[in-house]
Amino acid sequence: MSKPKVAILGFGLLGRVAALMLMERYQLSIFEKDDAQANNSAGVLAAAMLAPLAESVICEADLAEDGLKAMALWPELLAKLSSPVFFQQAGTLVVAHQQDKGDLQSFSQRLKPLAGHQAHIADSRDISQLEPELAGRFHQGVFLPCEGQLDNLAFYRASFETLQQQDVDFHFGQSVHCEQGQVNGEAFDWIIDCRGLGAKDEVSGLRGVRGEVARVYAPEVTLTRPVRLMHPRYPIYIAPKPNHEFVIGATEIESQDNGPITVRSTLELLSAAYTVHSGFSEGRVMSINSGLRPAFVDNRPNIEVKDNLIQINGLYRHGYLLAPFVVQQALSKGLL
Amino acid sequence: MHKPLTIYGETFDSRLLIGSALYPSPQIMQQSLMASQSQIVTVSLRRQNSVEAGQDFWQLIKDTGLRVLPNTAGCHSVKEVVTLAQMCREVFDTDWIKLELIGDEYNLQPDPVALLEATDILIKDGFKVLPYCTDDLVICQRLADLGCEVLMPWGAPIGTGKGLINPYNLKTIRERLPEHTLIVDAGLGLPSHACQALELGYDAVLLNSAIAGAGCPVTMAKAFKSAVEAGRFSYEAKAMPEKEVAAPSTPTMGMPFWHQD
Repeated sequence: MSKPKVAILGFGLLGRVAALMLMERYQLSIFEKDDAQANNSAGVLAAAMLAPLAESVICEADLAEDGLKAMALWPELLAKLSSPVFFQQAGTLVVAHQQDKGDLQSFSQRLKPLAGHQAHIADSRDISQLEPELAGRFHQGVFLPCEGQLDNLAFYRASFETLQQQDVDFHFGQSVHCEQGQVNGEAFDWIIDCRGLGAKDEVSGLRGVRGEVARVYAPEVTLTRPVRLMHPRYPIYIAPKPNHEFVIGATEIESQDNGPITVRSTLELLSAAYTVHSGFSEGRVMSINSGLRPAFVDNRPNIEVKDNLIQINGLYRHGYLLAPFVVQQALSKGLL
Repeated sequence: MHKPLTIYGETFDSRLLIGSALYPSPQIMQQSLMASQSQIVTVSLRRQNSVEAGQDFWQLIKDTGLRVLPNTAGCHSVKEVVTLAQMCREVFDTDWIKLELIGDEYNLQPDPVALLEATDILIKDGFKVLPYCTDDLVICQRLADLGCEVLMPWGAPIGTGKGLINPYNLKTIRERLPEHTLIVDAGLGLPSHACQALELGYDAVLLNSAIAGAGCPVTMAKAFKSAVEAGRFSYEAKAMPEKEVAAPSTPTMGMPFWHQD
């Protein structure tokens, strides 16, 4: 008996997570308007931090709790991949310069209590124990032990390889026309729409929120976990990836403009990194990009089910934080 | 009879002007604007990168039905503010402009010298300028001389939440410019700060971070609404004079003499 046919629209983070969850039980067709790398996808640019506690400052407690559930799902999802992907749960260190200690205090006050997980105040000694190379540079911080991160570029590579081995039918460079249970005229048992802003014309209330991010190779810097630096306008983080690569991000601007990064944002991100660790001065800027996060007016993800069409969208700045949990919720509407 | 707030000939019942940045989500922003019962919202065009790119966000603000006061946040030169003010006039179809011209990047202190130059250019170009300035009497007088009917001295540097760091200066400006509409802009953190500004005779307050950065912005918006009303009532009611010695509110006649020392 042949497997039921499922079309996945969009091969970004959500499309990949959905495909990995469904690949054993369904015959998958994946439609992506770009190529296999999906370089315009928000998931390529992201730092892939899993930071439910830190994000609880700006989101509702239930979303942060969902982030904890998603964190527990990531290892089993990554175990399906044909090659290993760096994943860690070693916490996040939040630090502030002396002038921004008010922002750190405000951040600490606004952390929401999550089931069994707390933040710890970190003094100079704690900071030097957690991140020896930051010893003496910061005297005040907060440690969020439950948080983690993964290597998103490795995840993109490994998920594509794995799905290729599963005989998935790929349609790259194709825009989709979805009507009456069919995609581009072909009938499917289920259609999972994971196009993010690619679905903007069909999903009302969806907007783009611009983010800008730098990837830097800095052999003189060793950080063992993501470090967040207090900033008056948006959280700036430095997420260390394997081989001394660092993702430094991210601005957050209410704009649909996905043009190149501005000089100001470049200066803000890179100078923030330099003030955290002077070893970044000789680092090499590998890429510096901007992209758009798909978001609804409440900045919460949304799942819509219409007949055999399931739309998952609006993960905003919480793609990696929530993806496995939200996709699992969506697929449980009849596929899992 | 309560006197309404007047801005360039237009009158408003609410004396709270509110910002549209830094909220956890656009939805919470909309709910906070409604809860504040403010009638004027300030919007920054600077960091939207292009006019078309910001449309979705501006539409969310237009949907509130509030009067939009565009601002020039993030500008550091006369040329930048003039260009941005002209863009704002086109996008929001208003000749109002909240003129923000930053002189110091770290505490976002306005540049008083460049502010005068920019104000002169914009007023000659037909703008109704609401300048964000420091609490310096002479700068305020010069801005008034150039034709500003509304002046917006700071309470404290933007986003500090310190309240009115120099009530003496603010009071002096109020006394010396009695006919002008004066709005305390920036630096407020607590509703009591807003109340204090209105008690000093300021016509309104403008704030953003104090609401957007609160644990519950919607509730804080309500708190500021009440505080602004309380402050205005207090000003209109004319407070009792402060005295250096205690004066009993209960007549002492009939009180045992050993209690009257």
